[in-house]
Amino acid sequence: MLEHCRAGDEVAWAQLVAQHERYVYAICTRGYSLGAADAEDVFQEAFVRTWHQLDRIPDEPALRAWLGQVTRRLCIDRLRALKRTRPEADAGMDQPAPGDQLGDIERALDVHAALAGLCDEHREVLDRFFCQDHSYAQISVDLDIAMGTVASRISRGLAGLREHVDADG
Amino acid sequence: MADLLDASLRELLDRTAAPGDPASGGVAAATACAMAAGLVTMAARSSVETWDEAAGIAAQALRLQARASELVPIAADAFAAAISALRPGEGLVRDGALGPALDAAADVPLRVCSLAADVAELASHTAAHAADDVRPDAVVAAGLATAAAYAAAHLVSVNLAVTGDDPRRQHADAATSAAREARDRAQTVEGPR
Repeated sequence: MLEHCRAGDEVAWAQLVAQHERYVYAICTRGYSLGAADAEDVFQEAFVRTWHQLDRIPDEPALRAWLGQVTRRLCIDRLRALKRTRPEADAGMDQPAPGDQLGDIERALDVHAALAGLCDEHREVLDRFFCQDHSYAQISVDLDIAMGTVASRISRGLAGLREHVDADG
Repeated sequence: MADLLDASLRELLDRTAAPGDPASGGVAAATACAMAAGLVTMAARSSVETWDEAAGIAAQALRLQARASELVPIAADAFAAAISALRPGEGLVRDGALGPALDAAADVPLRVCSLAADVAELASHTAAHAADDVRPDAVVAAGLATAAAYAAAHLVSVNLAVTGDDPRRQHADAATSAAREARDRAQTVEGPR
């Protein structure tokens, strides 16, 4: 895909953006707490800079690290600029997000991508239990499965999720 | 009341024994539910060598424990608000705060009751598959969770007594029955194989 982007393939570029847009946006909003407008500006600039420097990115595994680094720098620059124009802005925002916080964002996105690879049965039950905090009784009624098998189905879903996450590295 | 989660066991026990603390029953029920979930987590983690589902069961038990732990300070706050609204001449007359306050006070134990039923179910499932040396802990967890369900259901009834019949009372009764059935199944699981 990277080669196609370097050749000017707009379809490939759109795919690249789609693949990494959640990651970049999460850094802006959750890593550095940028507002929607500022996050959008940084988002655009990050991909513009990446487009112009595709030749410097050796391969696709390096692309994610590249995008993360560029985005973080742009977020810090944006926060500094905001602090100059709005001195009342929280001084803590001038600090880069801790490495483990950005690591959490990456892991969350990996899990989100892996969820998409699960069968509907497993994805549904994991979403209901872990994301929506549904009880076993509610899951049993809503999905018409025996109460005694809800926990087992969730366990199998988690095992499948683990396989997907581990496979993606 | 958020500091309850950071209190030592000694402090928590002392607060439970202190007269005039209206949150004791709800806090105790939520705490018992969280402890039961912890026991299930331990039993599952100790059984990963012999039980394929163990890791997944441990993850679920941890999630249930987190939900129950979150309810500990919420239970304390909700009951404190209800007691405040019941003071003669305040709330009740001034701004009609009694209904919402009691609603919140009933909602929290209802959530504890539902959680406890889930923990009992998971404990029963774990008792049937856990390693021999930790099976008794899973059975204990089922009993503890069922006690938490009964306690929370009683608090639901108490808080709804002022407002009359409410489907939440039926929900609490159903959760309590489910917990009891799960506990009974856990207690009939065969001993060491």
